Amino acid sequence: MIVKQKQVYCRPALCIGCRICANACAVAHGGTTNPRLGRINVRVNAFQRYEFQELCRHCEDAPCVDACMVGCLEKNEETGVVTNDDRCVGCWMCVMVCPFGGMKRDVLNNMAIKCDQCKDIEGGPVCVQACPTGALVFEEREDSVEEPFFTGPTVA
Amino acid sequence: MKERPLCNNAVVNLTDRTVDFVEPPEEVLRSFIGGRGLNMHYLYKYLKPQCDPLSPDNVLILGNGILTGTMSPNSGRHNVTCKSPESGIIGDANIGGFLGPEMRFAGVDRLIILGKADRPVYLYVNDGKVEIRDASKYWGLTCSETEARLRYDLGSDVEVEMIGPAGENLVRYACTRYGPKNAAGRCGSGAVWGSKNLKAVVARGNQGLPLANPEGMLNKFNELKDYLKSSKVTQVLGRVGTPLLYDVSNYLGAIRTHNSQQTVFFDTMNAEEVHKYVNKMVGCYGCVVHCRHRNSVGGEGPEYTTEVLLGSNIGVADTRDMIELNNISNELGLDVSSLGTYLAWAVELYEKGYITDKDTGGPLRFGDFETMKKLIYDITYRKGFGDTLAEGSLLVDKYGKETADFLIAIKGLPQSDPHDVRYIKAFALGIATSSRGADHLRSRPTLEILDLPAELTRKVFGQPIDPNPTSYNTKAVVVTVTETILAVADCMGICKFITHCWNSPRNLNYDHFSQLTELATGLKFSKEDLIGVGRRVTDQERLINYQEKGIDRKDDTLPARYFDEPMPSARAKGSHIDREKFAGMLDEYYELHGWDKNGMLPQQRIDELNRLKNLS
Repeated sequence: MIVKQKQVYCRPALCIGCRICANACAVAHGGTTNPRLGRINVRVNAFQRYEFQELCRHCEDAPCVDACMVGCLEKNEETGVVTNDDRCVGCWMCVMVCPFGGMKRDVLNNMAIKCDQCKDIEGGPVCVQACPTGALVFEEREDSVEEPFFTGPTVA
Repeated sequence: MKERPLCNNAVVNLTDRTVDFVEPPEEVLRSFIGGRGLNMHYLYKYLKPQCDPLSPDNVLILGNGILTGTMSPNSGRHNVTCKSPESGIIGDANIGGFLGPEMRFAGVDRLIILGKADRPVYLYVNDGKVEIRDASKYWGLTCSETEARLRYDLGSDVEVEMIGPAGENLVRYACTRYGPKNAAGRCGSGAVWGSKNLKAVVARGNQGLPLANPEGMLNKFNELKDYLKSSKVTQVLGRVGTPLLYDVSNYLGAIRTHNSQQTVFFDTMNAEEVHKYVNKMVGCYGCVVHCRHRNSVGGEGPEYTTEVLLGSNIGVADTRDMIELNNISNELGLDVSSLGTYLAWAVELYEKGYITDKDTGGPLRFGDFETMKKLIYDITYRKGFGDTLAEGSLLVDKYGKETADFLIAIKGLPQSDPHDVRYIKAFALGIATSSRGADHLRSRPTLEILDLPAELTRKVFGQPIDPNPTSYNTKAVVVTVTETILAVADCMGICKFITHCWNSPRNLNYDHFSQLTELATGLKFSKEDLIGVGRRVTDQERLINYQEKGIDRKDDTLPARYFDEPMPSARAKGSHIDREKFAGMLDEYYELHGWDKNGMLPQQRIDELNRLKNLS
C-alpha cells in the first residue's frame, strides 16, 4: 500500500551551506553538536560552488530495509517512516544501497544513523525548524518538483 | 573513552616534531574564556620576547572560542594569533569558515605551533590526535588548488585552512585562508605559517561536542535565530553584504580614494552595481546572516573593504576589474587591506617623484588596472618592484622620512576600514588605540552616528553620549564600551555581525553570551565577569605590545594626513582631527582603562597577568 506522507524537501537555491540543519539534528538526537552526526548530509564545496542536502526520502520500496541483514531497519506501514534501531552492527550495507545518500555513518559508535522525521519530537523535524533561510520544508507533495539550484542573486 | 576536557590545547613543536596536550587551569579559563583571550594568554606565555617574527621563536596559535562549534548562532569563528611580521607587535585575526568547529569535533580546541619544520608540512587533526605530515607536493599551489588536492588525497569531507603562495614567499601581509573567501587577513599571519614551513591545517572530526543542556540550546538557537533574522541590518547584510556601506560613506565624502588624497569616488562600487556580479549569498558554519557573495567572476567577495582598497584607493573604477583583483588576492593569499594601502602609497610616491621608473620598472598610475594586477602577482612571487613592496611597512622611511606621512598606517599596520576617519571622531580614536594597528575590527564605534534616541544610547553606553559624530566629547566611552564587547565576542567565537554595538544595538549582548555559555558548557559568567574578561584581554594585548616594541602613547596616533589635511569634498568637507582635542580624547580613554597618562598598565594588572602566565 502506498502511504501519502509528508517529507522533508531541500530547496538548494536557498541553502547557504551553514549546516545548521544537520547540527540541530545531532543535538536533538544525540545531545552533542557535529553536523556529521546529524541525519542530513549537507554537501558543501565553496570552490566548486554547490551546497545541497542529501536526505532520506522514506522510499515506498526502501532498498535499505531490504539490505539490512540484522533486520533493524523498518518501514512503518501506517506512517511510511523508515527507522533504524540500536541493534545495528555497522555493516554499512544500507549506506551502500541507498541511491540518495540518505544513510549516514557514526564511525565512532559503528552505527548507521538515519532520519526518523523527528516522529517523537513536538513541532516536527528540528532541521526544518532551525533552517535560517527556509531551504528545508516539511510538506506533502503530489509529485516531485525539480528544485532549481540558483534562482537569482539573493536568498531569503 | 576519556571524557573530553572543556579546552584541549595541543602544543605542536615543528622542530622536534612533538605534540603535547595541555589544559588551562580553571582560573585561567575563567579569566580569558577562549578564542582571542586564551590565544593572547598563550602568546604571552610561549613567545620569546623581542624575537624576529619570521624566526622559529615566533608562536602561531589557532584558537577556538568557547562557543565555536556549538549550536549558537554564527559560532564558526576562531582566532589566528602570532607576533606580526608586518608590524612587530601582536598579530591577531579572526576567521570564519568551517575549520574551527571541525577542529573541536576532532577533539582539539587550540593549536599552539612552535618551532620550524625542516621541510614543508601540514597538520592533520583527527580524533584527538595531531599528526605532522609531509606537504612537499602541495607547496607552491594556490589556495583553491591546495584545497582540491588535499581533499582529493584525504577525502572530500576534510576541512582545510592554508596559506597561498604569498605566505610561502614570506610576503609580510600574507594571510591565513579558508576556502575562497574566509581569511584571517590582518597582521601577516600567512608569512608566519610560511616561515614555519607549514602549508595547511587539515581537520576531520567525528566526535560530537557535548552540550551541557542540548534541549535548551536548541530552543535558544531557534529563539535567537528568529530574533536576529527580524533585524533590518541582518536582512540587508544577507541580501547585499557589506557593500551596502559604500554608498553611505561616499555620499558623506569619506571614502578613501587615491591614498586618502580624495574622499569621493564613482558610484560603480555601490551595492547594486556589485550585485550584478553576484550569483548567490552563502554563509559560514552556523550562520544566520549569510553575507558572503559568490561572484560570477570566479570567486567570493567583494567586501566593502576590498571594494575600496582595491577599487577607489588605487583608482580602479570598473566593478568587474575590482572583483577580479579581489579574487586574485584571495587566491594568492594576500591581505587586501594592507595590499591596497601599499599599492596606493607606492603610486602616490611615484606621482610625487620619491620613487622613479628606476625603482618601479615602469610608471605607476591611479586607475591602471593592468599594472596593479601585475604588481599583485609580482608582490606574491617577489619579482622586481613587487619584491620591495612585499616588505610592507618596513619600507616606511626607505624613500625619505616624509614618505612615512603618506602611508595610511598606525603602529606599522595599514588602515583596514575604507572609511576616512577624519569625520567620525570616535572612529579615529578607535583605530588609533586598536591593539593590532590601524584596524576597525577592534572597536568600530559607529553606533552613535545612527542618531539613536538618547535613552537607548544611555542604556548601551551607561551614560549620555554626544550624538554628533564630529564632536570629541564622550567618544572615549563609546570606543571603550565597543572595544570590550568585541573582545568578548572574539573570546566566544561569535561573528561580530550579530554582536551588540556592531551596526545595531539589537544584536547579542552580554546577557545572551552568558546564557549561551551556560547552555553550552555549564559555566556561569555574569555580565560583570564578561566585561572584566574583555578588559583583561585588551590589557594583555597592551602588555605584549609594550614588551615587544615599547608601544605607548606616542604610538596611539593617526597618520599625519588625518591631522593636517582637511577633507576635500562633499558633506564631510573641511573635517580633520584636531591634535589637542585628540590628545584630550586619548587622556579620557586611558583614564577609562585605568592606564596612566602615557598609556601604561598599572603595576597591579601587570602582576596579575604575570601570575596567570605562570599558572598554566
